[in-house]
Amino acid sequence: MTPNQPATSVPHPIGDSVTRVDAKEKVIGAALFSDDLQFGPGLLYARIKRSPHPHALIKRIDTSKAQALPGVKAVVTGESFPGMTGLYLQDRHIFCRDRVRYVGDPVAGVAAVSEAIAEQAVELIEVEYEPLQGVFDPEFGATSEAPVLHPDLGKYKVQNFIFPKPGTNISNHFRIRKGDVDAAWSQCAAIVEHSYRIPHIQHVPIEPHVAVAKVDENGKVTLWGTSQSPFAQRNLIAIALGISQSDVEVIAPYVGGGFGCKAGVSMEALAVAVASKTKGKPVKLRLTREEEFYTAFVRQGMVAHFKMGCDAQGRLLAMQNRFYWDGGAYTEYGVNITRASGYSSSGPYDVPNVKTDSFCVYTNHPVGGPMRGFGMPEMHTGLEQCIDELALAIEMDPVQFRRINCVQGGDTLVTGMTMHPTGLSECLDKAAKAIDWGRKVAPSAPNKRRGKGIAAMWKAPAMSPNASSSAKVALNEDGTVTVSVGGQDIGQGSFTIAAQMAAAALGVPIDWVRVATPLDTNYSPYEWQTVASRLTWSMGNAVAAAARDARQQILELVAKAWNEKIEDLDIVDGNVISYKSEETISLKNIAIYGLPLPNDQGWIGGPVLGRGNFMPTYVTGLNAETGQGPRAVVHYTTGVQAVEVEVDLDTGKVQVLRGVGAFDVGKAINPEMVKAQMEGGFVQGMSTALFESLQLKEGVLQNPSFVDYRIATTSDVPMDIQSIIVEVPQDDGPWGARGVGEHSMVPTVAAIANAIYDAIGIRVGAPPYSAEKVYLAMVDAGLVKEMEG
Amino acid sequence: MALHHITLTVNGEFEQVDVPSQMTLLQMLRDKLALTGTKNGCNAGECGACTVMVDGEAVNSCMVLAVECQGANVVTVEGLAKDGVLDPVQQAIINHGGVQCGFCTPGMLISARALLNRNPEPSEDDIRAALVGNLCRCTGYVRIIEAVQEAAKRQKALN
Amino acid sequence: MTINAHPELPDFDYVRPATLMEASQFLAQHAGEARPLCGGTDIFVRMRDGLWHDRYLVDVKKLDGTANLACDAAGLTIGAGVSMNRVIAEAAVRQNYPLLAEACCSVASHQLRTRATIVGNLCNASPAGDTIGACLVLGGRLRVHGTDGFREIPLEGFFTGPGKNTLRPGDIVTAIHFAPLPAHSAGTYIKLGRNTWSDLSIVGLTAFGYPDETAASGYRFKIAMASVAPTPLLAHKAQDFLAENPPNLQSFDQAARLASAACSPIDDVRSSARYRKLMVYQLTKKALQQTWEKLTR
Repeated sequence: MTPNQPATSVPHPIGDSVTRVDAKEKVIGAALFSDDLQFGPGLLYARIKRSPHPHALIKRIDTSKAQALPGVKAVVTGESFPGMTGLYLQDRHIFCRDRVRYVGDPVAGVAAVSEAIAEQAVELIEVEYEPLQGVFDPEFGATSEAPVLHPDLGKYKVQNFIFPKPGTNISNHFRIRKGDVDAAWSQCAAIVEHSYRIPHIQHVPIEPHVAVAKVDENGKVTLWGTSQSPFAQRNLIAIALGISQSDVEVIAPYVGGGFGCKAGVSMEALAVAVASKTKGKPVKLRLTREEEFYTAFVRQGMVAHFKMGCDAQGRLLAMQNRFYWDGGAYTEYGVNITRASGYSSSGPYDVPNVKTDSFCVYTNHPVGGPMRGFGMPEMHTGLEQCIDELALAIEMDPVQFRRINCVQGGDTLVTGMTMHPTGLSECLDKAAKAIDWGRKVAPSAPNKRRGKGIAAMWKAPAMSPNASSSAKVALNEDGTVTVSVGGQDIGQGSFTIAAQMAAAALGVPIDWVRVATPLDTNYSPYEWQTVASRLTWSMGNAVAAAARDARQQILELVAKAWNEKIEDLDIVDGNVISYKSEETISLKNIAIYGLPLPNDQGWIGGPVLGRGNFMPTYVTGLNAETGQGPRAVVHYTTGVQAVEVEVDLDTGKVQVLRGVGAFDVGKAINPEMVKAQMEGGFVQGMSTALFESLQLKEGVLQNPSFVDYRIATTSDVPMDIQSIIVEVPQDDGPWGARGVGEHSMVPTVAAIANAIYDAIGIRVGAPPYSAEKVYLAMVDAGLVKEMEG
Repeated sequence: MALHHITLTVNGEFEQVDVPSQMTLLQMLRDKLALTGTKNGCNAGECGACTVMVDGEAVNSCMVLAVECQGANVVTVEGLAKDGVLDPVQQAIINHGGVQCGFCTPGMLISARALLNRNPEPSEDDIRAALVGNLCRCTGYVRIIEAVQEAAKRQKALN
Repeated sequence: MTINAHPELPDFDYVRPATLMEASQFLAQHAGEARPLCGGTDIFVRMRDGLWHDRYLVDVKKLDGTANLACDAAGLTIGAGVSMNRVIAEAAVRQNYPLLAEACCSVASHQLRTRATIVGNLCNASPAGDTIGACLVLGGRLRVHGTDGFREIPLEGFFTGPGKNTLRPGDIVTAIHFAPLPAHSAGTYIKLGRNTWSDLSIVGLTAFGYPDETAASGYRFKIAMASVAPTPLLAHKAQDFLAENPPNLQSFDQAARLASAACSPIDDVRSSARYRKLMVYQLTKKALQQTWEKLTR
């Protein structure tokens, strides 16, 4: 809140659907993405030798033929890089040294004068493997019969909130023990128990990963790349190389979609490692779409067992959950997804007794990264179907059941934290109304069945407790404003939000504001990472603080020059005005050059540069045995989606006819962009519900291309997607805002599954709900007749 | 590796380029002519990010050899705006919030422009069909389809 | 598909001969290392995937007649260089051979169809080829130019396995030709993919029918099935059954069973064999019904 505004008013352009600041350069083809940057003739190209085996020992690597190929400038293997790396658990080398753990695991890298020569050189590298038995199922992997994939797990460096079990494949075990679950079952009028298997899927940004790395003679590293987390990359690379963070510069132009896969460090480390052997020459590594499918972060698979019970009035009494996360060959983000799904494992409900065990398990699958929702879509897919089943079991309407149980401000959450005010009930009612809940609509043809489904969700930003943001607001000669942030715009619109907040807090028109791009860790202020839907809230707080700081500097200057009190001054539309003297002066005259004192007595002021930062200070640790603690997370965004679907009885094809989303965003800074997030997330969720699965067979990916990894196209989406904004303010959010980027794909699969059930009375099981799966389920259930004869 | 000397028109400019046989139109645009607005998303004709117009027809530029473009008239996203005035499809996609990350946008706009050139009054299904080869992971397509509908109307009003 | 698909196309030489004979001779001389290039939509993908390693691509698109699309009293001739979009856009095709236009429309995306050709789709001999069914049921004949000149071969029998056909080194399919269709004929293509449109088919089902006094039932039907056998397949027993039995829901159902029994699908990444068999039954029924509706409209 700016000092001169009453608490209730919201200054423009907060709440205005201003046009994206990057829209024009994106539609004219001028916006630069990583692959568009020009490096001149000195640029070298890297390609990577990768493991064809899901699990094997490396017996021998011979790079001599590759080294001898004309045009090759460097060949590197794990031998040169003994250090371990990893975000929460340092369990991987940049290049494999003695063992490979997934198909695509990097074994060696080449830099050459052309991509084609680098490729030839990769083919000339000889690697001898001794294949080992693999682990391809997380539940099996967690048992003592499974081969141990990381024998040195006990020696790995690990953050203090992650609990690996050395001697097993369990890289994290997170527990919740709230109340007394065992005692509660006997009081339940109904209990349901279901297991779900969620497949691996991938983020599929349309822009593949690109990294260009340069290592100077003096060891300074510059990295240009597709990055959601330039500062996290700077930090991890500095640690891995044992150099100062100030000697690593990460430059991150526009990102062509991230959804989590461009967070942290993945293929960038390979580019840096190769470039360390080509001193002074930049090395470019771009993943092919096939490599993207094989080797980029995946949304890890999951096996979930739910048991939940309620009393005769429909009050949830107990939940018992076991989650086995298929973390893949190395854990990277997986261990924290395991934790996040644990501390949110009740779903958005008030449940007195909860027992959860969430395991992250090493497997010989691709590496689990963060993906839009960070474990929540996977968890809610099963949980929200169970909620429907439980409602059914006591013959209660699923909306009513959720209304009774959904989390409210003041509730004691599954971790012991007290819930802040939230608009989940409002979301539920509005979504149900919008989908005409309870009104059956006739199908469009006799061979079709129609159904409606609803699902609720919650999600907290899953992040380090002290993940922080900073921002700078600088004024230019003409009064325009340059906002510098370290958070990335990956399409969600964070640059536009930053501009709106700066304009509002400073008091200038939105078109006076520019956002400094590209992000560059040498010039941009620190930002933890562009993940967890945290930028509007956290970076927004920093931007608002920086703009208020600049505003204060300007007001102090003018107050002194005019001999007035700050309280009588304001900045409106780029002019400083005095409510007392009715004087006015444009910022353009004072922002850089200051103001002259009367009678030519000199000058006061100087370039205005506001600074601001934000760090939550209140998040506490959780007890390792019980998962209990005063405050597990900063806040929860809650919401509901409802869908109407039609199932074709002849083919099993599911058509989503319309969708509704209602989310409590605290305050919509830019309502149209909030709605765009709700729509985009809905369709992404729908795409995962109907089409998406990385088909892994004994660790080998069967569909590494768009030909067979299908995502939703224009032919699959309903035009009728309603987005409803609910605003229960966040106490520490800028103008009350909290994030919504990820949340809109969290309940979608469950809502669609519930709608399919409503249509045909069958729980189809694991997504995706392909026509085949639905049809065969209908055949097996006797709903349609298998052809006879 | 034989080099072929080709001449063609790109966004109204006459160009001469020496290209090896295996160079795609996409590579030539990006690497030889520095027209990086056209994107490489899959290099296999599946995602549509590289869509350009060749002789008025939308085509995946990763699926065309540069050498096949001798004498062709190529239009890329950089050639849509005329004298600083945005094409109606560009303006409409901004107005409808149909741009997020922006990586699919160039191909999407070219597909839309080619559609409106051959069919100035497309139905919703015509638009879906014209854009089905342009994958977008951010927007969910609805705002893009609406933008093309608006562009068609606006174009009709202008003509 | 390998992990290390080539980032770009591998090295090859693009060859544009002046005449068909020159092209045939070049292809014959470089058998195994040269390939005719139409739209390239399959060739480029396979070369990038590292599956094909041709040294020469011989562009046949603008050679004698290959760019021609002719629809007249003698029938329909579609040159090897004619894109599917051109076929779709041709009013005479939509009027007289709507099934062919319908099949073309189902292929991939608009911008891919700007390059993709029917002849390329046929020569590629994919069991999933979307236009192959229509070409089969419409009795297409291929014009082939080899080192000893032109010959014409029927499409039926052309496919010998997945990606395999009866062409010999030096052969260039210059066009596909269709005779004028029987009066009052009608056809339907139903494609079941994962996405609503644009996907490869899980099952592709083409039905075509026309009145024929020589048939006991008074009608002849042809049924072609895609993605359910090593080659695109005609359902002969079902066709014969429909020639003998009056067209109605019961006989369509029986024909659909015969079609399903005739196919030999596999489990693959797109579908199980079981689902494919069931869908051949469902889609055959539907395609026959829709065709019958058009015939009796």
